[in-house]
Amino acid sequence: MLEGLFGNIIIEKIFFFLATYKEGYPLGMAKTFGVPVNRIQQQLKRLEDSGIVVSRLVGKVRLYTLNPRYPFLKELDALIAKAYQFIPLTEKDKFYRRRTRPRRAGKPQ
Amino acid sequence: MRIDWKHIDIKDFAAIVIEALRKNGMDALLVGGACISIYTNNKYVSSDLDIVSHATMKEISKALAEIGFKKKSSRHFVKTGCPFFIEFVSPPAALGNEPIKSRNEMTTKYGKIVLLTPTDSVKDRLAAYYHWNDSQSLEQALMVAEAQIIDLDEVQRWSRREGFKEKFDNFVNGLHGEKT
Repeated sequence: MLEGLFGNIIIEKIFFFLATYKEGYPLGMAKTFGVPVNRIQQQLKRLEDSGIVVSRLVGKVRLYTLNPRYPFLKELDALIAKAYQFIPLTEKDKFYRRRTRPRRAGKPQ
Repeated sequence: MRIDWKHIDIKDFAAIVIEALRKNGMDALLVGGACISIYTNNKYVSSDLDIVSHATMKEISKALAEIGFKKKSSRHFVKTGCPFFIEFVSPPAALGNEPIKSRNEMTTKYGKIVLLTPTDSVKDRLAAYYHWNDSQSLEQALMVAEAQIIDLDEVQRWSRREGFKEKFDNFVNGLHGEKT
């Protein structure tokens, strides 16, 4: 959908992921979309170099978020939100409706 | 002029780097912690120069090679024996949602530095405090506000526009000596 604008489909997926879940780590995103983790890492690095996302280490995991100081964040958010409306329901269910509420440790799956 | 890279002051270092870029026709604006070091007379010590430039990394690499700096990663440059490194922040130069409109200039024996104004330096640090709750950034904003003349009304206007009225109040309380 925004692939032509962003240059590749991974960037589009990263943006939808971060807009939905607010943060994410490369392996989690790779598993969600079924793509190699290095492809996600490569694009996250590109976005971080451009100041569009920021990251921090939490334990051994590098967590990424959209950069709240990116000057075009409001406009980018609006574009992502608009594009999200056009995603088929099946795709939304598959990728963007993961459980985000807490789950106590030890609880059976 | 012979340069003692090992003991160089960050202000002189900034001037050398910015002059090297300017000589090659590139724009460069000093932002971030180095501005705090300069405005507080090294009360806060920064270990790097954050520079915003619209030049390409290829052009920048060529200009910095003339003063012995090599590219260490995609946006970082280092020189053996120099305690500081240089980071190129992706443009545009902005403070939250707003572009940076004014710049300060300082002259040193090594050339001219173009940097954020004291007021914009305070906003730059406050942005980190506002968005990431970084207390060190709040302390640095307070240091600049105490050492330099800043436009507090402008900082208040900007803070409100960014949506951080309450955190701005914490900053003002800090200026009045209250614990933040």
